[in-house]
Formats: sequence, C-alpha cells, structure tokens
Amino acid sequence: MKHHTRGVVSVIFAVVLACALLLMVGPLLGQPGSGDSKSAQKFSASSIQIEPMDPSDVPMPPEFRVAIYEDLIAQIRKTGKFQHVYRSGDKEAASAPDLVTLRTTAQSFKKGSQKEREVVSVAGSSSIILKVHITDHAGRPLVDRDVEGKVRFFGENLRVTYDFSKKVAAIIRETF
Amino acid sequence: MRIEDPIVKASAATNFFGGARARLRPHGLFLLAVGAPLMFFSAPARGQAAGTAPAPPAVVQKNARLVIGGETIKNNSEGTLSVVDSSLQFETGKAKIEVKASSILDISTNEDSRQDITGAAKIATIAIPYGGGRLLSLFSHNVDVLTVEFTDANGGYHGMVFLLTQSQAPPIKKQLVAMGAKASVPLAEPPPTNK
Repeated sequence: MKHHTRGVVSVIFAVVLACALLLMVGPLLGQPGSGDSKSAQKFSASSIQIEPMDPSDVPMPPEFRVAIYEDLIAQIRKTGKFQHVYRSGDKEAASAPDLVTLRTTAQSFKKGSQKEREVVSVAGSSSIILKVHITDHAGRPLVDRDVEGKVRFFGENLRVTYDFSKKVAAIIRETF
Repeated sequence: MRIEDPIVKASAATNFFGGARARLRPHGLFLLAVGAPLMFFSAPARGQAAGTAPAPPAVVQKNARLVIGGETIKNNSEGTLSVVDSSLQFETGKAKIEVKASSILDISTNEDSRQDITGAAKIATIAIPYGGGRLLSLFSHNVDVLTVEFTDANGGYHGMVFLLTQSQAPPIKKQLVAMGAKASVPLAEPPPTNK
C-alpha cells in the first residue's frame, strides 16, 4: 500500500515538473521575434541624428515629449553603436557621411497615476506607444516598429519615457 | 525744460519792466545755482526712458530639481534655478548650466503631484505589513513642472524638465518671455481677486 502511494506521488511530481518546464520554455519557443532578431540584417553607420518626437494628434504634456527625446539621446549614446549621436538641427550632422536618422511619432499615450498605481496596483498604469522610424542617408527605411513604454507598479509617470528609450536602445543594438 | 523757464521769464520781465532788472537778477542767479545740478540729474533719467527698460529683479528658486536634460549635471539633481542677466541658470554645488533666453524655443509650465516618500524610504515602505506601505503612497504634494526647449551653439535641440515648488514656475516663465524667450502657450493671467 505504502509502495503504491509512493509511486503515485512520483508520477504526480513528474507531471507537475513537466508542466512547469513547458510553461517556462513554451513562450520562448513561440516568440516570433526571437528567431527574427538573430537572422535580421545588420546595418552599419557611424552617426545617428535624433529628431524630436512628433506628437501627431495625441495630446501629450511637453515634459513627456522632452523626456522622451533626452532619454533617447542618453540610451542610444549608451549603446556605443555610433561614434556621433547628433541632436536635431546640429550643423555638424550635415557633414556625416553615413548618417542615419531616428524619428518617433506618437500613437497613443496614457499618463496614468502614480498614486493609483501604488495604492490599487491594478489601476493607474502609464503607457506610451510610439512609432520608431529609422532611415539611412538616402531615406530608405531601416527600422519601422511600434514600441511601447510602460510603468505598471512603481515609479513616477515620467519613467515611462525611460522604459520606452531602453526598448529603442535594444532595437538599435540588434539592428546596428 | 523746467529749469530754463524761470530764466526766460526773468529775461522777459527785464524787457517789459526795466526797473525790476536789478531785483530779478539775484533770483535768476539763485535759480541757476539750484537748477544746474538738477540738469545733470535729469539727463540720465531721460536717457533711461528712451533706451532699454530697467532690468527686472532676478528670480531665484532654491531646491529646484532637474529631472532630465542636464548635459553636465546628473538627472534628478537638486539645485538653484534662477533667471539672471537674460539667461536661465541652474546651479548645483558642483556644476552650472546656463541657457540664454534668446535661444529658448519654447517654455511651458504644468502642474503635477509627487509622493512625499521617495528613494530608499519608498522601498522600505514595501516591508510595512497589512498594506501600510500602500497607505503611505496616498501622501503627496503638488509641484510645478517647468519644461524648457532650446538650441545650443551648434543649433542642436535640447530640452530640460524642472520640478519646482507649487506656483513657482509661472514667474520664471514670465521673466524669460520678457527677456525674449519664445512660448507656444502664453502665460495665463491670474484671475482677479475679489475682496
């Protein structure tokens, strides 16, 4: 009887372990981007110019627009992929031979509330979705993607721009 | 002009009333003596009115926080924000940023709220049992957000975001606009107080 129980327990343990492994590995296998990113074509450029965000018709406070721009500059510099990271309007950018240009256009914005987020947890999240468009010197598109920045639980609303910029920096790393 | 009038009157009086000349001369000399220094005092005053307006008093805001955009100053640094000599200055103990009012493309103010407990203390509140940490998140204070967009010497676009104590951003915006900074949204006039 005791021997029989031990067998059942070991079978249940094996099943649970298998399920857990499937849950962990399944999403990784199913991710369409993971395979693509490795096989994606890599481009080379020595300099990039970052244009200010185009708010389009999406109402967005100016501090968010500015924070997106400054965070993008900082995060792209951190990648170390470019010798020069030019700001919009910089006269020196005109002489750069293989300059690529990064433009962002607002798709949606939700300011959220830090207080709600931290008190209720399920409400008050901040989110921003921007179209990221990178073109080469001739104007050919190299990257054209929607990227989302989020603050779900902790942190100030403006941190959404940091999250967005980190994701754009990751795209830069896999593209250049 | 005012100084010359009595002398003209005195000379006119001498023409019409010749006998009064001797009596008026000491008066004229007296007025000349009193008026001469006034002539020198009035000259700079007239020059001031004709030229540029007198410089407005400097606006100084201590404990301002630079959220983002300081090239040489770390994000979230505290310092003194001031408007001095037609430029916006932010100074911490270690470094200083100066932006000329004429290079400002846009300046805007906004209101927001910030939690009273931040940083390491904020993380510590997570450990408070029975949701006490969440309760502490309810405590917050209103702040002013000042956003400045400007160009550098190379024409490169920059932006800075400052957090100030409540109702401190509009005076800074007002003064910078008076000094030549551009603002896409004009500063709203305060509502008239009914007493």
